[in-house]
Amino acid sequence: MNSRIRAQCIKELLQFRRDRLTLGLAFLLPLLSLLILGFAIRLETKHIPVVVQDLDRSPLSRSYTDRLFATNQFQPSRWQGDDPVEALDRGEARAAVIIPPDFSRRLKAGKTASIQVLVDGTDANNARVIRNSLQATTEFFLRDRGLVDATQPVLARTRLWFNPGRKESLYIVPGVYAVVLWIFPSLLAAIAMVREKEKRTILQVYASGIGAGELLLGKAMAYLLVGGAMALVVMGLGSLIFHVGFAGDPTPLLVGTAAYLASAVSFGLLLGVRSASQNAAVQGVSLIGFLTALLLSGFIYPVSNIPFPLSLVSAVVPARYFILISRDAYVRGTGWPGVALDVLVVMVSAVVLFAAACRSLGPMQLDDGAGR
Amino acid sequence: MPRSSAAEPGGQALATGGDVVLDVQALHRSYGSVVAVRGVDFEVRAGEIFGLIGADGAGKTSTFHILAGMLAPSAGTVRVLGQAPRQARSRVGYLTQTFSLYPDLSVVENLRYVAGLRRVAEGDFRQRRQELLKLMGLAPFGERLAGQLSGGMKQKLALCCALIDRPQVLLLDEPTTGVDPVSRREFWDVLARLAGASVTILVATPYLDEAERCHRIALIHEGRIRQIGTPAALKRDLGLTRLELRCPERARAEALLEEASGADGPAPGGIVDVQTFGDRLDVLVSDAARGAAEVRGRLAREGLAVEDLQVTLPTLENVFVTRLRQEGVQSLPLAFPRSGGRPRRADPAIAARALSRSFGGFQAVRQVDLEVGYGEIFGLLGANGAGKTTTIKMLCGLLEPSAGEVSLAGETSRLRSRELLGRIGYMSQRFTLYDDLSIRQNLAFYAGVYGIPRALRRRRIDWVLASCGLEGQGDLPTGQLPGGWKQRVAFGAAVLHDPQVLFLDEPTSGVDPVARRQFWRLINAFARSGTAILVTTHYLEEAEQCNRLCFLVAGRSVIEGTPSAVKAAQPGCLFELQVPAGFDQRSAEVLRRHWEPWRVSRFADRLHLVLDDAGPELALVRRQLGEAGIEILSLRQIPFSLEDAFIGTVQRTAAAEAAGALEAEP
Repeated sequence: MNSRIRAQCIKELLQFRRDRLTLGLAFLLPLLSLLILGFAIRLETKHIPVVVQDLDRSPLSRSYTDRLFATNQFQPSRWQGDDPVEALDRGEARAAVIIPPDFSRRLKAGKTASIQVLVDGTDANNARVIRNSLQATTEFFLRDRGLVDATQPVLARTRLWFNPGRKESLYIVPGVYAVVLWIFPSLLAAIAMVREKEKRTILQVYASGIGAGELLLGKAMAYLLVGGAMALVVMGLGSLIFHVGFAGDPTPLLVGTAAYLASAVSFGLLLGVRSASQNAAVQGVSLIGFLTALLLSGFIYPVSNIPFPLSLVSAVVPARYFILISRDAYVRGTGWPGVALDVLVVMVSAVVLFAAACRSLGPMQLDDGAGR
Repeated sequence: MPRSSAAEPGGQALATGGDVVLDVQALHRSYGSVVAVRGVDFEVRAGEIFGLIGADGAGKTSTFHILAGMLAPSAGTVRVLGQAPRQARSRVGYLTQTFSLYPDLSVVENLRYVAGLRRVAEGDFRQRRQELLKLMGLAPFGERLAGQLSGGMKQKLALCCALIDRPQVLLLDEPTTGVDPVSRREFWDVLARLAGASVTILVATPYLDEAERCHRIALIHEGRIRQIGTPAALKRDLGLTRLELRCPERARAEALLEEASGADGPAPGGIVDVQTFGDRLDVLVSDAARGAAEVRGRLAREGLAVEDLQVTLPTLENVFVTRLRQEGVQSLPLAFPRSGGRPRRADPAIAARALSRSFGGFQAVRQVDLEVGYGEIFGLLGANGAGKTTTIKMLCGLLEPSAGEVSLAGETSRLRSRELLGRIGYMSQRFTLYDDLSIRQNLAFYAGVYGIPRALRRRRIDWVLASCGLEGQGDLPTGQLPGGWKQRVAFGAAVLHDPQVLFLDEPTSGVDPVARRQFWRLINAFARSGTAILVTTHYLEEAEQCNRLCFLVAGRSVIEGTPSAVKAAQPGCLFELQVPAGFDQRSAEVLRRHWEPWRVSRFADRLHLVLDDAGPELALVRRQLGEAGIEILSLRQIPFSLEDAFIGTVQRTAAAEAAGALEAEP
């Protein structure tokens, strides 16, 4: 290796080791983020309070109610009043089920009985989930009791292909890796770069005749090593805490992570080169990082839902492709055939970002107007 | 423009000089609409120490950036070692204005990093590291983090870093800012040694005592070079003589002589300039004999006594102020608008007895006694970290002393009471003005803070503007003012409430000689009206302006008295000797072998030597140099500067303590 690059790399690692802030950024905060994101984000809704007004009070209506609360999705509301609508108004229940007085009579007579369901629509997404779920429970109840005609012409029998147990951590945790391994390596690299400018040590570097590429490569290598250690710690503990293991060939993840870290570090360097102060760099990196890795990457919201001009932005977010690689490794397990292209995209992003940083630092001279 | 000396090839430096190493011609540099450098020409030859002297914003740093190849000139040609600066980078060492060190790396790690950047082979690096750390006295501190070094040590380490690649050219941008006098002298001795080894050195400094150590200097002001030549030639070319006048009524004498001096040239009596300088007046005259007679005559006519009148050489400060004044307006301080007169008071304004302060196990201030009377300018001197700021904080009640007593304006307790604060003024090192407010808004803000009566408010603000030469420009954004003006406005803001006691914490850092002189006129005017003034500074040159001073070293006061008394109390005498060109390095080495190293120091092509007993010791020096085959061209006794007095005292104390420690051992 070029001696200048090595000197730069060693110096960065020494500085990294001495600074408590950067050590915290490299190991403590990523773990905290992993725990917070891993435990806090739950898309599945459970224990939804539901108030049931059973005006029928027959064995059949009671068994319907029991069936409703048989899973942990719904639970009886603590509400004791008469009017179920009031329970919704007060927020004591998310849904109200009103069983009419003629419920069992009409069913026994072979007629259609109607149940009124009121769903709190404040949270539109949840309301849809509650409605579908109540619908399904009702159908299941009817089929179980033999109250429907078994000779339906078409019956869709669904089975979940990946993640058959619908274990939610399998979906969330690989995404958390993408967020954490983007934000923190880029922050570290940006701080390492902008600090030289802020403390004016960059002048000494300019005067030494080292090239922009050499300087940035030295810094990038140091933080690539730090990022690697971070990835090892975060992914290792993540697997233990959330019980996620490899579903297939881990090599695409290995290569993909290295490329992804390179991309994050280059992004940090680029922002570090372009910012005048540590404050600006940290805010830029974290704002852009969280917006893109959290919201435009498919971590929580499906990429396909992002509307047109924003979807273009989403298309160039490296986290989006790394999430695919990471979910493949932990959930799908298809290996290289499934994600080769995504790994390539992440690699290209790293090269482009690094080239942009080099170009920005350019001739290793003072900016116009910054020299005084 | 007085550039006559630029054309003059004389000066002993050029006799030793070889090839032109730095060649700067018609250099311009602008940033947007701001022009930093407007047509600079100079040449520096191999082995020469060339000084760029000027205030903050004069264009020094831009010139350095261009020579270091990290900034492109807007126009003009620059050659370094015959190449474009960018190509020559590997043969140039650059010491930037702020320490270009990594505080979280150790001394050796800093060196290793720079060596790596500059591709120094491992073997060479090990050898040079040993050599350099030993040369700078840093060898025992290799593992210490750079952030934990003192200012002087940091600067020496930065110099080591710049030297690790054996550069042929050294660019040093204000290398001794915040460095204590002993380290500063050592630093300059290293520079002299390097120049002796044919390294070309370009050094920028705002301080004129350092300029004396350069072979040649250029005064740079507002992006142009105004003067260039050897320090001796510049002083000679001024064609003036300086009279040091000591008399009881300095204020009246100054006013009297000021009247007799011509603003645009020598008046009939030959008096060019008068300035209060601490406990004396400096009078510049065109002819020594005639001028002295004129001064004595004028003072005698008014019945003023003359204690002492010495004829000496002009200083570089005289040169620059005289030259620069041709463009600047010199205004006399206007009377400060007061509602009534101020009573003269005999009790001390500031008094401290056995003042001590420790932080944990660290003794920041030890047993300091001082007393400042109303109307007196007292200088508190010391390097960064000597305890100046801690002392000031205790004196104005911001910090509780660990031991000792403080009395401030007659109060001994409750030093932070509102009533007392109204009688105290404070101006800190960093001008506490808001850059985004106009000058008038800034002043109005402080007038409001101090609760100045409305009737006086407007008049006082107008006084500040007028005494700063800023009439009619009160609406200018403060951020646009150059350093010297800003500093005077800040001073104006600090005295708006007419304080009885004024604390000035390093008020003149980064200000050019003319602005500095203007500033001291303001300070003197306040002192005359009965204000007690305590000034801190780490530059001994500035201390000459004080009536009395005390010097802190490691929290202890080592010298106290008037500048003249301090210098007079220094035992022994100082000799300046000149040896043939090329022999200065060797003669310094010879002398250091026989005498304690601090007694020998190099000033450009001359040597300064401190002897305790001139008679026999001088003969010894002659013999020692004679045995080494070195001829003495000239040898004369010169007066001690405050720096000499300080270094002598510190070294003698250290030697006495070491001897005491040896005796104490069983």
